[in-house]
Amino acid sequence: MLYLELFIQGLVQGSIYGLIALGLTLVYGLLRILHVAHAALFTLGGYIGVVVTNTTGSFPLAIVVAMVAVGLVGMAVYKLAYEPLLHRPPYIALIASIALFIASEEIFRIVFGPFGLSYIDPPLQGQIEIFAGFRLKYGEILVMGIAIVMLSALAWLSAKTRTGIAWRATVTDPEMAAAFGINIQNVRYLNFFIASALAAVAGVLVALLNNLVEPTMGSVPSYKALAIIVLGGLGSIRGTLVASLALGIIESFGTIYVGHLLDRDALAFAFLILILMVRPQGLLGGK
Amino acid sequence: MRHFTNKALAAFSIAAVFAASLVTASADTIKIGFNAPLTGFAAADGASARHGAELAVEQVNASGGINGDTLELVVYDDQASPTESVPISQKLIQNDGVVLGISGSYSGATRAAAGIYQENSVPYISAFAIHPDITRAGDYVFRTSFVGEVQGRAGAKLIGEMMGLKRVVIVTLNNDFGKSLEAGFREVAEQFGIEIVGQYEYGIRDRQFGPIVSSIKADNPDAIYASGYFFTAGPLVSQLRAGGVDAPVIGQEGYDSQKFIEIAGAASEGVIITTSLNRDSDATETRDFIAAFEARAGYPADMVAASGHTAVMVAATALRSAGGSDGAALRDAIAATNLAVSTGTISFNGLGEVQKDVQVQIVRDGNWHEHSVISDAELLAPPTE
Repeated sequence: MLYLELFIQGLVQGSIYGLIALGLTLVYGLLRILHVAHAALFTLGGYIGVVVTNTTGSFPLAIVVAMVAVGLVGMAVYKLAYEPLLHRPPYIALIASIALFIASEEIFRIVFGPFGLSYIDPPLQGQIEIFAGFRLKYGEILVMGIAIVMLSALAWLSAKTRTGIAWRATVTDPEMAAAFGINIQNVRYLNFFIASALAAVAGVLVALLNNLVEPTMGSVPSYKALAIIVLGGLGSIRGTLVASLALGIIESFGTIYVGHLLDRDALAFAFLILILMVRPQGLLGGK
Repeated sequence: MRHFTNKALAAFSIAAVFAASLVTASADTIKIGFNAPLTGFAAADGASARHGAELAVEQVNASGGINGDTLELVVYDDQASPTESVPISQKLIQNDGVVLGISGSYSGATRAAAGIYQENSVPYISAFAIHPDITRAGDYVFRTSFVGEVQGRAGAKLIGEMMGLKRVVIVTLNNDFGKSLEAGFREVAEQFGIEIVGQYEYGIRDRQFGPIVSSIKADNPDAIYASGYFFTAGPLVSQLRAGGVDAPVIGQEGYDSQKFIEIAGAASEGVIITTSLNRDSDATETRDFIAAFEARAGYPADMVAASGHTAVMVAATALRSAGGSDGAALRDAIAATNLAVSTGTISFNGLGEVQKDVQVQIVRDGNWHEHSVISDAELLAPPTE
């Protein structure tokens, strides 16, 4: 029973990692930029979720507002921070991204205060008994549910729609795609909108599980999501999802059985090093 | 000749400026240094500590200052990091000319700064950092709060003897704060009949405790002794209760903030902590502080705020009795402290460690209230060397 609970906890955590890391993979796949500031958009999503829920009393509305608002901010980040640097070596954009992330932590602190924010009346606090003695919190079910819905929608978008085909074409060969009349600029905007909206959902959900958003809540995702996309094979969407879930489950069991030797973050990086020694191209990365 | 005049003039003016600065410094302002995390992950505690310290400075100046001189707090942001606190303490001592320093910061930053103050023979008071090595830096370093081990021992007495709960799970925050609490707890656990049935560790960035909650549920303990700060303990307690774990949770001064109750919500009811601030105290100093703090800061007082306030009050009282002198005389005046303040009556042992009662507080109806007071001098004896 404990194993099953730990496995489910791992899936919950893995779903959150998946939502965050997927956006990072999308940006890397398209622009070859390591978008560290993605974690700041995750934090922003959490703040918007809590503020909207506390003012309107509607949690679903909060999710939608957070996704749209953070999606737009993500587009602005691309336009203002990355686009002017695209013709420079990728590490320039990485430095800009790190700077943006550090500055954002202090901006959150100045705007929302150093103490963080909580839901005044936290939604979805009950639990449901799946079978005798095994319960799941509504919040945890929602996390897994939303992850499945969002990722399915994304899969459908990229496989079945004209927009999705244009997007994949741009990832594969931007010049050829442009030659076929695809507006690369729009694809990039769309890419940042979707990536940032996914991070926002993750932020709202993490805020729900912890009942706390704080200026530094992006600090763990900022580096762990990088580890996940490397683990998954840079730019591979499927690899990112597998790596997210695997890491969630490993952390869940590791916290209990080797937590006194290695904490959660150390475990994640030990796992990363191990995998890269065996498969330098990542779990599902092609060579 | 002209050359000579210029040189003499330059030398004269430098001397004049220097003398003037000496005169203004000694005639009406006495500076004390203050390092606290005003940005970064510990910014919330830094903000509270600063409010508490500034409130104390205002109160001292309103009641006649230091024998007529004005007290001034020189504040720098150390981000709770030793790499910041070391240059800050050098700057405070050499450039700002402070006669005394106060740490409103965590152990890492405070430990590193303590050595600098000791080297320069400038007294340094740690307001709430708990690592035992801080006061071991030397005889110029003092602490107005409990070392971790003392509070850990108080926690064991509270659970094993006063609450009569024996099967205990320990959840430890894996930094010096959590580790020293755990060490103190384990040291005397057996003495109070406590059996440790499970032990978990987590990192300071962790907010999601799902796996630990699942495993504690399987341990089925009588009580949970969990170390942490309000921003880790809030999520931990709320997740424990949401996960169906009903055993009492016993924490420490790191929980001691209204923010803990806000984060954990209804789950915070009944949580008990060992700390320095008694919200229901009859003591005038404590009552006055709680009222004045909320009026100034706009939110209820917490342990960190009271500790910042306490450290400044101790410093000001010693400055008054030392008659404005600094260095060794000021150090001796601090060592002789016997002062009633918001966190109790402060006096120091030979190592510069405070000796006072441990306050036990419980959350009832969304506020911290008095549960009991532990005043076992032998159990609570701070380290002496």
